[in-house]
Amino acid sequence: MPIQESMEMLSSHLKMRIADLGKMKKDGSKIVGYLPGGYLPEELVLACGAIPICLVRGGDHSVVERSGAYINRWIDPFCRAQIGYATTGNDLYYKIIDILAIPITDNHIRAVSDVLAYNTNIEIFPFGVPHIKDKSTLEYYLQGITKLKERLENLTGVVIKESKLREAIELCNRERELFKKISLMRKHKDVSISAKDFVALNHGSFLADKGVMVELLESLYNEISKKSTPSNRRPRILLTGSTLALGDTKILDLVEQAGGLIVIEEFAEGIRQYWENVKTYGDLMKNLADCYFWERVPPAWFRDSDERFDFLIKIARDFNVAGVIWYELMYRESYKLESYYFSEILKKKIGLPMLVIDSGYDLAERGPMLTRIETFIEMIRR
Amino acid sequence: MTEYYDELLKVCGFESDEIDRERSRIQKAFKILNLQSEDMKNAEDWVTKNHDISLLGVKKLLRGWLRELIKLVLAKEEGKKVVYYGFPTITGPGMAIAAASEEVYSACPDVILCHTMGQIFNKLNPILEAGEANGLPAGHSLCTLQTIRVGALAEQIIPVPDLVLTSSYYCDAGSLTDKLLHFRYGHPAIYVDGSMDSSWGEYPAYSQDRITFLGAQLNKIFDKTEEILGVKVTRQVWDKALSISRELYKGLGQLARLTLADPIPVSQADVELAVNLSAGCTGKAITDGFDAVSTLVQEVRERVDKGIGIIDKGAPRVMFFTSPFSDASITRMIENTGLALAVTFVSAPTPKRKHNARQLTIGEEVAEREMIYGVYHSNYGFIKRWIAIIKELNIDGVIYGYQFNCRPLSQPSHLLPKVIEEETGLPCMSLEMDYYDSRIYSAEALKTKVETFAEMLRAKKASGKKIAADNKIV
Repeated sequence: MPIQESMEMLSSHLKMRIADLGKMKKDGSKIVGYLPGGYLPEELVLACGAIPICLVRGGDHSVVERSGAYINRWIDPFCRAQIGYATTGNDLYYKIIDILAIPITDNHIRAVSDVLAYNTNIEIFPFGVPHIKDKSTLEYYLQGITKLKERLENLTGVVIKESKLREAIELCNRERELFKKISLMRKHKDVSISAKDFVALNHGSFLADKGVMVELLESLYNEISKKSTPSNRRPRILLTGSTLALGDTKILDLVEQAGGLIVIEEFAEGIRQYWENVKTYGDLMKNLADCYFWERVPPAWFRDSDERFDFLIKIARDFNVAGVIWYELMYRESYKLESYYFSEILKKKIGLPMLVIDSGYDLAERGPMLTRIETFIEMIRR
Repeated sequence: MTEYYDELLKVCGFESDEIDRERSRIQKAFKILNLQSEDMKNAEDWVTKNHDISLLGVKKLLRGWLRELIKLVLAKEEGKKVVYYGFPTITGPGMAIAAASEEVYSACPDVILCHTMGQIFNKLNPILEAGEANGLPAGHSLCTLQTIRVGALAEQIIPVPDLVLTSSYYCDAGSLTDKLLHFRYGHPAIYVDGSMDSSWGEYPAYSQDRITFLGAQLNKIFDKTEEILGVKVTRQVWDKALSISRELYKGLGQLARLTLADPIPVSQADVELAVNLSAGCTGKAITDGFDAVSTLVQEVRERVDKGIGIIDKGAPRVMFFTSPFSDASITRMIENTGLALAVTFVSAPTPKRKHNARQLTIGEEVAEREMIYGVYHSNYGFIKRWIAIIKELNIDGVIYGYQFNCRPLSQPSHLLPKVIEEETGLPCMSLEMDYYDSRIYSAEALKTKVETFAEMLRAKKASGKKIAADNKIV
């Protein structure tokens, strides 16, 4: 299926998604909302017959403003947007979920958890994501997802059988594999899918029916792997940062407008983690913890940065980029602090320049942002 | 022979012979700190304006802080292994490491700089600016306490540590800053991790998993310290560290009870000098601190007995989070609006641990204490502790001064007043401020809000009526 057709198919599936979810809910299905960050194993939700929905919308400043009645302005705008969506009742996904599972990754996410627990009727299920990798932290994460499993079983009345969990893991593995294959195709000179389309597929996968999504990705992958694409001479860019929300297209639009070509993205929130798969043999809960916590490239709020920096340098090399754009949301201090010294490391290790862009989801930031991106792209084009 | 700093040091409780004895160390430290003769007059004015130096206990506390500053600045030069810990949560283990070896200097340098370069010399701005130029730029709501640490290292006024203990179970910024400093200076850091993942409404209960996890992380401090510095912290050392601070805490408890008197006998600006000694220091200041606090307790008790107060009897009594670390003029401003700062969250008595049938490790003991304290449990636990204190004491209103660039303290900015007002009926004002940096959140900038709140509370007192949470007199 050609890209355009796939994107249209996804779009029409998503247009009907709320209505479909409404029907399924009426028929007794449970809908499990969760916040992005890659720490919630969707497999657990699927294995008990519930529907996972990632609340990944953002980018709209008016929603952020509405959160002002519940939280101060020094919290990351994506997190404030979640408070805005949930408290105003205007977001249909927040209205339809039966429970909101929140992996507590840092203090911004913790703020969302408590503000919503107090100010809405949504049932919140927080569980911890530690910030370093050692035996006790892996154990703690595993305890957290085990508690989540128990809560989901109570919610749905379905005891998760190993066979069902394995089936769900296989389905999610297939989705990750397809994302990885499609993403890796962008290593080549002739980039077969734009960053905007790749990100849209990614965002779509957080809301779409898993089976539909996998089918769509299969068909898309088969099509683009056959197709030859003309070479593109635009400067290749690695886009990384804290959060790339559904609806936050400003950075993608501006880079494209300025003549850059994003060939790979790495985000803590808003881009599905597709690099590793869950093992399907042995202790499946432990395998989930291994994949989602241990093997996953840690975000900037982890206390050790080496693994993440090494990964960024590796993909910068593998995808042959000419520069890095670091897109951080205002007041997410972990990314702000890392940006200060990662640019030095990047320069020293592989001689690449980095541009740091801060966003508060404000419309007024578009002009200055474009000027900075244009200048950066002019610089790396040479 | 007298020097340009003698007069200030005397104002701050030093005796002439001590100054003579310590002269070479004082000179060395002041040179590194770039403290010159023109700074001394400013410091004298600043100290006498904000602190009640008619109280010998206050002078002794100022002396304790200055002695700690000198010790900090010269620690490496004096052959110490330097360990820095994070504020506010690693003080116990930091103290135990100091108690384990005479060769170790262990402290929270940012807290010491706030109380000396800020509260005494009013010369913190160049340090803050250096921090902003070295990785924590202004305008991004980055922790100003961490900015001070970064700035002081960049300016080379404090030594590069041999080891850093970082509390990673409460705030993210401390660990993230230490990560930056590790990149810059290469010193090892021990991150004590945790996860504040309790559900809303869970406090005072907590999951055993949190204790086991945090306990294991805290115990890691001692294993790693032995590995890195060759310093062993045993149960005996731990008990010794606790006994050193126990007397100080006892005095602080007495002081907290005395400040509940009507009229308020002493400014919270002076009490704060005592309260944070144990948070920032582990050495001399703690042992000297005991004498200073005992002296202050005695002086304050005399005032209470004679009915002497710093503001009028019957003034509205307010609970506050804590007094600013760097700029006591903010506390003075609040008191000058006619509000009696009767109690702060940090100086209020903490709940006792229940007897635990299981033998706990040192780390688990600390972890359990942290859960009970509320602050490190959850936002809900934090708020519930406020409510428990309010209900126990005779309070007319609450000011929640929240550190705007501290995510754990700022996230209940709206929740805390709402829940307090609902559960106690007392008016509660959320006041955005900065405890470490008063360049923007100065006393003058905050005054209008505080005055308005004070007027409202006075109206309540005058009418003898209750003020509802929506500010209507009923």
